[in-house]
Amino acid sequence: MADASNPLPKSKIAPQDQFILWMVRFFRAEWSGALLAIIVLGIAIEIATPNTLFFRPSNLMTIMNNSAAIGIVAAGMTLVILTAGIDLSVGSVMGMTAALTGYVASFWGFPPYLAIMTGLAIGMAVGAFNGTLVAYFGMPAFIVTLAGLSIWRGSGHLATSAQATPKLPETFDTFGRYNPFSALRDAYKEGELTGFSQTLGAFIDDNWLNFFRTFQMSMLIFIGFFIIIAILIANTRYGRYVYAIGSNEPGARQAGINTKLYTLITYMICSFCAALGALLFLGRAPYAKSDYGQMWELDAIAAVVIGGTSLFGGRGSLWGTFMGVILLKLINNGLTLAQLNTFWQMVVTGGIILVAVGIDIVRQSKDPRAVRKLLAGVGAFMAFLSLMTPASIWLSAKIGIIEHNASVALREIGTSLAPGQNSRLLSPADVDAYQAAASSTAFGSLLLAILTIVTGVMIFRTTKTATLILAAGFVLMIVPVVIMGYQITAPFLILGAVAIAASAFVGKIFDRARTLQPTG
Amino acid sequence: MKIKSIFTGAVIATLVAASSASAQDVIGYITKSATNAGWMMINQGAQDAAEEEGVTLVSVGPAFQGDLSSQLEVFENLVAQGAKAIGVAPVDSAGIAPAVNDAMNAGIPVIAIDTGVSGADVTSFVATDNQAVAKVQGSVAATLVADGDAIIYVTGNQAQSTGQERRDGFMAGFTAARPNSEVIVVPTEWNSQQAQEGVEAILNSRDDIKMVANAWDGGTMGAKAALENLGYGAGDVKLVGFDGASDAIVAMDAGWVHANTAQMLYQMGYQGIKAAAAAARGEDVAGRIDTGFFLVTPETSSVYKDMVGIK
Repeated sequence: MADASNPLPKSKIAPQDQFILWMVRFFRAEWSGALLAIIVLGIAIEIATPNTLFFRPSNLMTIMNNSAAIGIVAAGMTLVILTAGIDLSVGSVMGMTAALTGYVASFWGFPPYLAIMTGLAIGMAVGAFNGTLVAYFGMPAFIVTLAGLSIWRGSGHLATSAQATPKLPETFDTFGRYNPFSALRDAYKEGELTGFSQTLGAFIDDNWLNFFRTFQMSMLIFIGFFIIIAILIANTRYGRYVYAIGSNEPGARQAGINTKLYTLITYMICSFCAALGALLFLGRAPYAKSDYGQMWELDAIAAVVIGGTSLFGGRGSLWGTFMGVILLKLINNGLTLAQLNTFWQMVVTGGIILVAVGIDIVRQSKDPRAVRKLLAGVGAFMAFLSLMTPASIWLSAKIGIIEHNASVALREIGTSLAPGQNSRLLSPADVDAYQAAASSTAFGSLLLAILTIVTGVMIFRTTKTATLILAAGFVLMIVPVVIMGYQITAPFLILGAVAIAASAFVGKIFDRARTLQPTG
Repeated sequence: MKIKSIFTGAVIATLVAASSASAQDVIGYITKSATNAGWMMINQGAQDAAEEEGVTLVSVGPAFQGDLSSQLEVFENLVAQGAKAIGVAPVDSAGIAPAVNDAMNAGIPVIAIDTGVSGADVTSFVATDNQAVAKVQGSVAATLVADGDAIIYVTGNQAQSTGQERRDGFMAGFTAARPNSEVIVVPTEWNSQQAQEGVEAILNSRDDIKMVANAWDGGTMGAKAALENLGYGAGDVKLVGFDGASDAIVAMDAGWVHANTAQMLYQMGYQGIKAAAAAARGEDVAGRIDTGFFLVTPETSSVYKDMVGIK
């Protein structure tokens, strides 16, 4: 037996120990919560949409393409939040620069590159304005940029009369939908190629729909820009100062850092990112308009927080934001493909954000009990989603009957009904249909409700045996629900069973990890 | 927000004071948006009608699209400051009802424009029948595809009556003629970016989509951008619009859009304020004024352009 205080020699590490070590490394990264959510959600969507290929490269690249504009805005936001600041004006700045760039290009006859420079310069100028007020006048960033949210949106509307730009020059496509392979493919289709380039052209043409069609500049700029900013904050003095200002501003100042200047620079970079995001958006959008980018400030902040960056500054990473943006866009893309009801999409989006941030908080706590609770919580969430499949039918049927009865009762006592109340009255056939729907779903609802409640209770109090029995219960539950015709809940139940079963071993895994890596 | 509403109040007060001096009737006009292309046409109609009738139009828009609370505030200010009639395009049919009730009880006629009010009586409701027009849109769209072809429908906000009626109307018209076609829904809140991303996601995952129908022309333009992003050419996937907005008509001339049901937007604002002015003078006004629609197809697009003044 190896001495526990010494790291084990590599050759002696058993596969399960290697897995544990790998997990420890994974969860040490700030972006692990978002990445885990992306993987789990991706698998869930793939299962839920049997007719469509969610994991097709072209679909994944579409998600990247659509993440590009908001992603670059969120990159700027990450820097500001790392300094313990906030920039609520990014959406408005994005809208204003998008509108003005398009405006000077199509109404003032600016050549495209001059128009682009104008847009970026306006972004920098707005950043200088925000940054000066925050850094040199000591105004709270929240207030300055909240005012900016209104000022820059209004300025954009004023400058362009809120009219759309009729047509954008093709140069703008370079920032968006331009596909570096399309020229080669066109040449191949015209039969102009020979030798190696012909082989290459044929390869591109064969894989056009699956892969190359969505290989566009948006995605390339998105990734390239994140690499640059990641290098900037990890390897330069500026990056170290950003973290220093965020974690302890007075200390940073005493250490001789010109905190005001670096705060100003950070706000300038953030607004520059908003302007660059506007360019990327124009590269894919139908026209330029001053109402673009509404609510982007909230999406950007959500992406930063999902990515594990602390809103109090000083801790976080750019790659977390990258994952956070992709998670947000993946939710949109996946839920559209899954054709989930609009209102449920809103609810599920919020739930996924809570889970992603929950993983991050638990990850930081390094507490096995918290991890167990989180896993049990995920299990309960899955049980709840399964429950809602029959229960939503049961509930809406029951509610329909209650509304009907209430309207009838109101009419009987002589109240005159409003049109909205009249429409709640049902025909006798409808009443029968509702009652049939309610009774056919009652048993399944009851069964799954019990499962949900038991799982909910077990979040707080459980034993290892009980947990394993519960996980088995999840698996067994699949049989009755499939018989009742709710096959769609099977993936939820399997996922729930995995989470619950895993929660039984959390303590053991933590102990083992501590033995393997006493410093962890 | 507070400052803004105080400011609006001051503006209204000044205008009311100024106008009472010149003895013109003041008509309040609460619009839904000052930046949306369609709404700008409605607002223009309202403005022109006011000039024709010789009334002073106090028009106020919400701080952002869909902001009910600022509409309610403005409504109360207008009532308190003695507007003779109010034309309102509610952002929320039910939410605006209490304010409408107060005004009607105070003897101020209220004309609902574009969107109806549920839960309160109004003097007149001036609008296109969204559901009927959408039904026409659906049955015209059906003629563009074969039975069994898969299509995409881009919805508007499903929490608003306009969005619900257009969707229900389209589905009714389309599925009656093409019962075996699959309709894949892209939900939006009247946001062309959501339309673009949703359409792009679906077109990417399946290549059997024959048509994209839209609840409004912002969606049409978003869908067109999605097609362009994926390298489709004009006509590869047919587009059907709603609103007859000028950019969608330009896209029709270029071969992208194959049908568009245009509401008579200008007429909506124009007739709405005409009715408000008449009601302010104490004349009788019809309870429901249908402003009609125009079916724009590549054949009729030049007639339509002449009619609404797109050059």
